[in-house]
Amino acid sequence: MSIFILLITLSVSSQENLYTSYTIPANLKEKANAVIRSHDVYISLKSSNEMYVTEKKVITVLNKKGNDDVDAYVYYDNNVKIRRLEVLVFDNFGNEIKKIKKNDFKDVSAVDGGTLYSDSRVKYLEYTPIEYPYTIEFTSEVVNNNTAFIQPFAPVNGYFVSVEKSTYNIDFPEDITIRTKEKNFETLDLLKEETAGKIAYEVKNIEAVKPEAYSPGSVNMAPKVLVTSKQFTLEGVHTQVENWSDFGKWMYHDLIKDTYDLPASTISMIQNLVKDEPDDVAKAKKIYQYVQDKTRYISVQVGIGGWKPFNASEVDKLGYGDCKALTNYTMSLLKAAGVKSNYTVVYAGSSQRSLEKDFAAMQGNHVILNIPQEDKEDIWLECTSQKLPFGFIGDFTDDRDVLVITPEGGKIQHTKKYNTEESTQRIKGSYTISNEGAINVDVNINSKGIQYDDKYWLETETERDLDKHYKKRWKYINTITIDNMHITNDKEAIEFIEGVHFQASNYSKKLGNRMLFTLNALNRNTDIPDRYRNRKHPLKIKRGFTDIDEVEIKLPQDYKVESKPGSKSIENKFGRYKTEVIVKDENTLIYKREFIVKDGEFPKEDYDAFRDFYKEVNKQDNAKVALIKK
Amino acid sequence: MKIIVVLFSLCFTITTFAQDYKFGKISKKELEEAFNPLDSSANATYLYKYRRTFFEYSEQEGFQLISEIHERIKIYNQEGFSYATNQVSLYKNGNEKEDVSSIKAYTYNLSEGKIEETKLTKQGIFKTEKSKYFNEIKFTMPNIKEGCVIEYKYRIISPFYYNVDEFDFQYGIPIKKLEAKFETPEYFNFKVNTKGFLMVTPKTEQRRDNITFTNKTRTTGNFSNSANTTFSTSKVEFNKSISTYNLTDVPALKEEPYVNNINNYRSSVKYELSYTKFPQSAIKYYSTTWEDVVKTIYEDSRFGDELNKTGYYKEEIDAIIGSISDPMKRMALIFDFVKSRVKWNGYYGKYTSDGVKKAYKEHTGNVAEINLMLTSMLKYAGLSAYPVLVSTRENGVPLFPTREGYNYVIGCVKLSDEYILLDATNKYSVPNVLPYRTLNWQGRVISEKGGSTLVDLYPKEKSKNDIVMMLNLNEGGTIDGGCRITKTKHKALSYRERYNNVDEDDFIEKLENKYNGLEVSEFKVTNDLNLSKPIIESYKFIKESQADIIGDKIYFSPMFFLKTVENPFKLKNREFPVDFGYPSSSTYRIMIKLPDGYKLESIPEKVALALPDNLGSFKYNIIGNDESIQLVVVTEINLPIISSSYYDTLKEYFKQLIEKENEQIVLTKI
Repeated sequence: MSIFILLITLSVSSQENLYTSYTIPANLKEKANAVIRSHDVYISLKSSNEMYVTEKKVITVLNKKGNDDVDAYVYYDNNVKIRRLEVLVFDNFGNEIKKIKKNDFKDVSAVDGGTLYSDSRVKYLEYTPIEYPYTIEFTSEVVNNNTAFIQPFAPVNGYFVSVEKSTYNIDFPEDITIRTKEKNFETLDLLKEETAGKIAYEVKNIEAVKPEAYSPGSVNMAPKVLVTSKQFTLEGVHTQVENWSDFGKWMYHDLIKDTYDLPASTISMIQNLVKDEPDDVAKAKKIYQYVQDKTRYISVQVGIGGWKPFNASEVDKLGYGDCKALTNYTMSLLKAAGVKSNYTVVYAGSSQRSLEKDFAAMQGNHVILNIPQEDKEDIWLECTSQKLPFGFIGDFTDDRDVLVITPEGGKIQHTKKYNTEESTQRIKGSYTISNEGAINVDVNINSKGIQYDDKYWLETETERDLDKHYKKRWKYINTITIDNMHITNDKEAIEFIEGVHFQASNYSKKLGNRMLFTLNALNRNTDIPDRYRNRKHPLKIKRGFTDIDEVEIKLPQDYKVESKPGSKSIENKFGRYKTEVIVKDENTLIYKREFIVKDGEFPKEDYDAFRDFYKEVNKQDNAKVALIKK
Repeated sequence: MKIIVVLFSLCFTITTFAQDYKFGKISKKELEEAFNPLDSSANATYLYKYRRTFFEYSEQEGFQLISEIHERIKIYNQEGFSYATNQVSLYKNGNEKEDVSSIKAYTYNLSEGKIEETKLTKQGIFKTEKSKYFNEIKFTMPNIKEGCVIEYKYRIISPFYYNVDEFDFQYGIPIKKLEAKFETPEYFNFKVNTKGFLMVTPKTEQRRDNITFTNKTRTTGNFSNSANTTFSTSKVEFNKSISTYNLTDVPALKEEPYVNNINNYRSSVKYELSYTKFPQSAIKYYSTTWEDVVKTIYEDSRFGDELNKTGYYKEEIDAIIGSISDPMKRMALIFDFVKSRVKWNGYYGKYTSDGVKKAYKEHTGNVAEINLMLTSMLKYAGLSAYPVLVSTRENGVPLFPTREGYNYVIGCVKLSDEYILLDATNKYSVPNVLPYRTLNWQGRVISEKGGSTLVDLYPKEKSKNDIVMMLNLNEGGTIDGGCRITKTKHKALSYRERYNNVDEDDFIEKLENKYNGLEVSEFKVTNDLNLSKPIIESYKFIKESQADIIGDKIYFSPMFFLKTVENPFKLKNREFPVDFGYPSSSTYRIMIKLPDGYKLESIPEKVALALPDNLGSFKYNIIGNDESIQLVVVTEINLPIISSSYYDTLKEYFKQLIEKENEQIVLTKI
């Protein structure tokens, strides 16, 4: 009888013992710095302005790098009260070795570097592990008066972390409607239980993922259930939203509309400023320039101000604001001049994250301006930049779904995509090689499209930094001296033109009565995409580009060509590489090169071929000419 | 006659600098200036920078330190806009805290030839509670445009009169005129420490000042009179000394690569309280000499007392040292014990925070807890062990005797007149191989009697990197072979930090990608955890496109992917010393088997380069025949720091080294 009891006890404890690394399944240890043993989120929506969130997470940290995955922190502000916060630490035998209570958490302002002020604060755990592995149990409970954001079910929150079990529960009263959207669960078993006033999810056994170059953004790969309430409250403002049209209407009428309070003097000044402009686009251009000259980006986030733009009159007076304020200000100036434009919500960043088309909820982290056009592509304006040309948004907000807000409602639109053909860099140059092997270069580089974006910031660099920049760009030439740099930023045509003159000794290596030099002196590809023994993610090339070079080479007087690389042409689904060497006369060669990489998404099996393409380009870019003494 | 000359030159000075620095007196000329004529690359310039720090007495608060700040900044372009935002860090401790008052600020723009001013309003000023110890006041100026001038002033009130913030005289942007004043009543005695490349000497004067006290006397009531309070005032006169700094046209301080800590070169003055002497009370010493500093630190209960505690570890240490009598072995055992017993929590400090006992019990502690515990245990074990005060690289070089000069403590053992330095906060640190953060000039060894001596923290012995590589080159230009790399001291320390605790596959992938697509197999690391031996990495590899095949010839440089390609020194000239942290050497022994059917046509010449004054050298030795090539390359940097006067030589040295390493061998088809 007593043996029987013991057995029962054992089986119960083995089920519960998540506090030691010995019980982690082998597949979850692979590539993992930390393993989430169990994670339970319980959300109770009492009404549209009261939400309780209780969370319990048991995580075993396997090594030093896993410390960052503990994520034991809670943000709070005037609308969020922390009711409970506790951490227990266990050694690898599952013995509790430390208890950290709410008041022992570090409490700091949650202002990041780019923000002047924010009323958000954070309490976080500071713990020095004394051995690995160790296990943390983190428990928290908060009550939130904002219900516009409901924490999603996101079992995985980073790379190199695996998950044993994760659950999510939400309950809500009858008068509230909850919508959900499940993403990226294709390879996982997602359990869902839906009853009146309650939705529950559970997922088990998610293996760790590591980041890979040329992958789709993590948003497009990580499993997640988005959750939102039809009825919600944001900083005291209550509303009901079912689709993007409603959402846009609400934003326009409750957050934006009443901020257009420009003083009459500014309105007449603007009208006067654009009175001679022939059309709306010309007017908008003039106003954009005015905003760029007058304002700068400063982020201040207080209360509803975190969601609602500053009044236009404020920006008019202060000359600064965050993205919402500056966009809204530009919009109100355009309005004064009779030009229609729309406030637009977007996820900014080079990863091209789109807003969820079919899931209307608070999304996005940035705001830009849309100027609708009749029968051509709409114009997009980045109002926080003092430097970008009119209508140029670069890789910060290009090629993604965004929410355009109009008085009639919101709609999803797609921003400007920079095509492979328009993102060009044209090099026209010449270089001379002396009898001693020194190189003397004169080069002109013209960049457009996304390649303009890569370079336009150079315009305002100091001479010293620019000098350093070019030495880095041509780092494969030993110790160069730059005599002349000339930069033209043509904002009208959106072209960046660089003229550089430089020299370096011993570019061409003397070997007895021969000389050897690399033909491609000005645009050598030096990066080969990383190799993965076991590629997991699809191949994604986010933006394409076109490089076209033509360089005239003057050979040293005392030498003649002994051998030169032949012409080369590669064409595949990723792009094209083509070189040609033309003998112009006895002492002059012309080197032509074309390198095109197209944007696109390919299955992971294609990654090796893509890498081989770059390897071949790399090799061809290092092809050499052998000279022999006449 | 003398007087006349002085007067005359004074007038002269006034007329040349007829600029008005009174608050609000902005001139059109200042607004019109399009660039700084002395430094056209400056994005902004301090037109005027003023700070006056003085003592104020109030009966409620006692002495407080007041700083008045007044700054006028010209912003030339958008890159200078960041200077329109100002932040002031305010220290607090318990109920005492620093505070800011009377912020007054304006932006000035030129609009159609007229000066237009915009006032900073209250809603543009933000106070944030950053952490338990710091508040922060931030404000950004309104109406900022290219060419504008901003001006602000405010007061900082501090109860922490023993801690006067450094007076900095040099910033990332130039200063046209700087005025700084420090006024101290006779009760406070400060020591002045000046550093940096600029010459700054204050003008000092003495003045009389006074404090008025209100005395309250209460007479006890008796049967005829009721209780009564009378007020009287008394005045205390004292001397105060005023130091004034006047500087004009201070150039900007610019960052350079391989600089230890730019603050070491920033011109500044630090006032360190050495003693206070109030009327009718005894002198209280803070610190004036290194002896005082050491004494003050040692006598602090968070240092000396903590060092002398032994009870908490006795049993364990007795068991560990047991029958072992060799002092070296004892040291090693105790050092390893502390490293495994107590983990560093990431905090620096020469003082303990929660105490050694708690650190020992909870297995975690700050720098002082760990290393004072270590020193104490070593002493207990009969070794001549001492704590060593250190200033970390980020803290700068301790040029003057100040308590803040040191921010870190390590331990040392004196054995046959040699100091062995120990830092138990890093798992992979071994005796005399300290973590990189502590490699900063000299540390101060504190003896029992409170005396101190200096010890070099920069290592004298070289950290080595020995590479042996054997490979075959085929006629297609692919190489395959094996590589064995042995690393010692700091090279081993940093390798262990990178390698240990990382998934091996990931580490290999990083290695492969570092060499742009090297393919690695049979990867092995030996002695990753055995710190007493050098760490050894070995692997087999294949790499394509390592030779150029042109016509019937093969060209290749015999160091292949190991050759140096980029000169780390790109700037034309340099002001500050080049700091490598530690001396080092690398030796490459490369054996290449050549493809059949080719003969060796030409081979680079041997070469030996040396930097002057034995700073370093480069040797390139090569022999070969039609079958194989043998190459030995040795590079040495013998000193951890090289003075900037050698900059040109150093740059040229790297240039030639790169040229040589890239030189090619030519093979011809038979």
